Amino acid sequence: MAALRKSGSIVLFHWHGELTDPRDAAFAAALQQRRFRSIETAASEEVSVGWVTPLDPTGDSFASEDLDGGNGTWLRFRIDKKKLPMKWLQIRRDAAEKARGKKLSARERRELKDDLTETLLPRVLPTITLVDALLWHERRTVMLFASSKNAREVFGKLFFETFGLPLERSNPLVAGLRAGLGNEAAHRLERLEPVRWPRHEKAGTIARTTTTRIAPGAAVEDA
Amino acid sequence: MNTPDQAIATHGFLGEEFLTWLWFRWETDGGEFTLPGGRVVGVALDDFLAFAAGSDDETQQTLRRGLPTRTAEARTALRQGHRLAKARLLVAEGSRQWTTTLDAATLTLGGVRLPEDAEECESDVDRTADRAANWLALHEIVQALYAVFLRDRVRPDYLATTGEAHARWMAG
Repeated sequence: MAALRKSGSIVLFHWHGELTDPRDAAFAAALQQRRFRSIETAASEEVSVGWVTPLDPTGDSFASEDLDGGNGTWLRFRIDKKKLPMKWLQIRRDAAEKARGKKLSARERRELKDDLTETLLPRVLPTITLVDALLWHERRTVMLFASSKNAREVFGKLFFETFGLPLERSNPLVAGLRAGLGNEAAHRLERLEPVRWPRHEKAGTIARTTTTRIAPGAAVEDA
Repeated sequence: MNTPDQAIATHGFLGEEFLTWLWFRWETDGGEFTLPGGRVVGVALDDFLAFAAGSDDETQQTLRRGLPTRTAEARTALRQGHRLAKARLLVAEGSRQWTTTLDAATLTLGGVRLPEDAEECESDVDRTADRAANWLALHEIVQALYAVFLRDRVRPDYLATTGEAHARWMAG
């Protein structure tokens, strides 16, 4: 097994409610319920998403110890996509049109695509993407090692399907409400408006500003 | 309840103010913070800055390489009241050092590089444990710094105290 990555982009999520303790066998069992299923031999364009473990990218085994991520739980999911190669379709269409001496109709193009899908797709290997996440159960926090919209959405859906808990993506408001500021401060946080900093366009203005006390309220919150 | 996208739209500015405040604290106070629990961390801005556009019509300004915080363009942007939208940060605690690009509006940490693996790591299991600890530490540090900023920011007298000093620094 390779070690956990040491670089990359991350997005944080939190959940509310009770999540099964990753040390319980029920946690691994829940992952197994939504394990990755191969589409290697599929004869249609498909996407398959499911859990695997860092030790076994097939999704066949889910031992609790395979999820050991030091102080956290190391999750990994796999996204396979199978798509008809467009270059092949274009080559076959060009050949058919050349043989016929005229362009194919829309119906004929559709039929050609269906035929190719049936004959070629079982031979096409899917593209594979493995995405990691680290989960800290007591903190109700999970760190996704990807920042693309697709990865975020797939992960949120898979997590919900597996554990029945929606994930909340962290952002400046969520992070602030989790910062332990106290009720009153949290209430003020929700109502904060951006500070409108004073604009100093000219050098002369800047020079005066640096030597003159800025009156309270010179920087104001947007109304 | 805000959806994540709504929250970013309505409170993304707080992330931008936070990032600009880190720059302010770095230049005026050395960038060393003592966090709850006695944790002492240092923060500095590195070789990438992007200023938030004031409106949809304005251009977003990006400065790369060298020391962008020292450039005339950066000072001008501050004087014009622009907040930082993104910046590459150096974060240090003891002998450990992280680099990351913080996207302020979403608080996403991009292009993170963890500290070197500890010398005592002898196996992948050891390395995984060490790196997981470093990922968590980076998250904790950023969250704790954000909390320090917010405690000040939500105070009713913020504009007359830290806000005033911040405005003076931006104009300087």
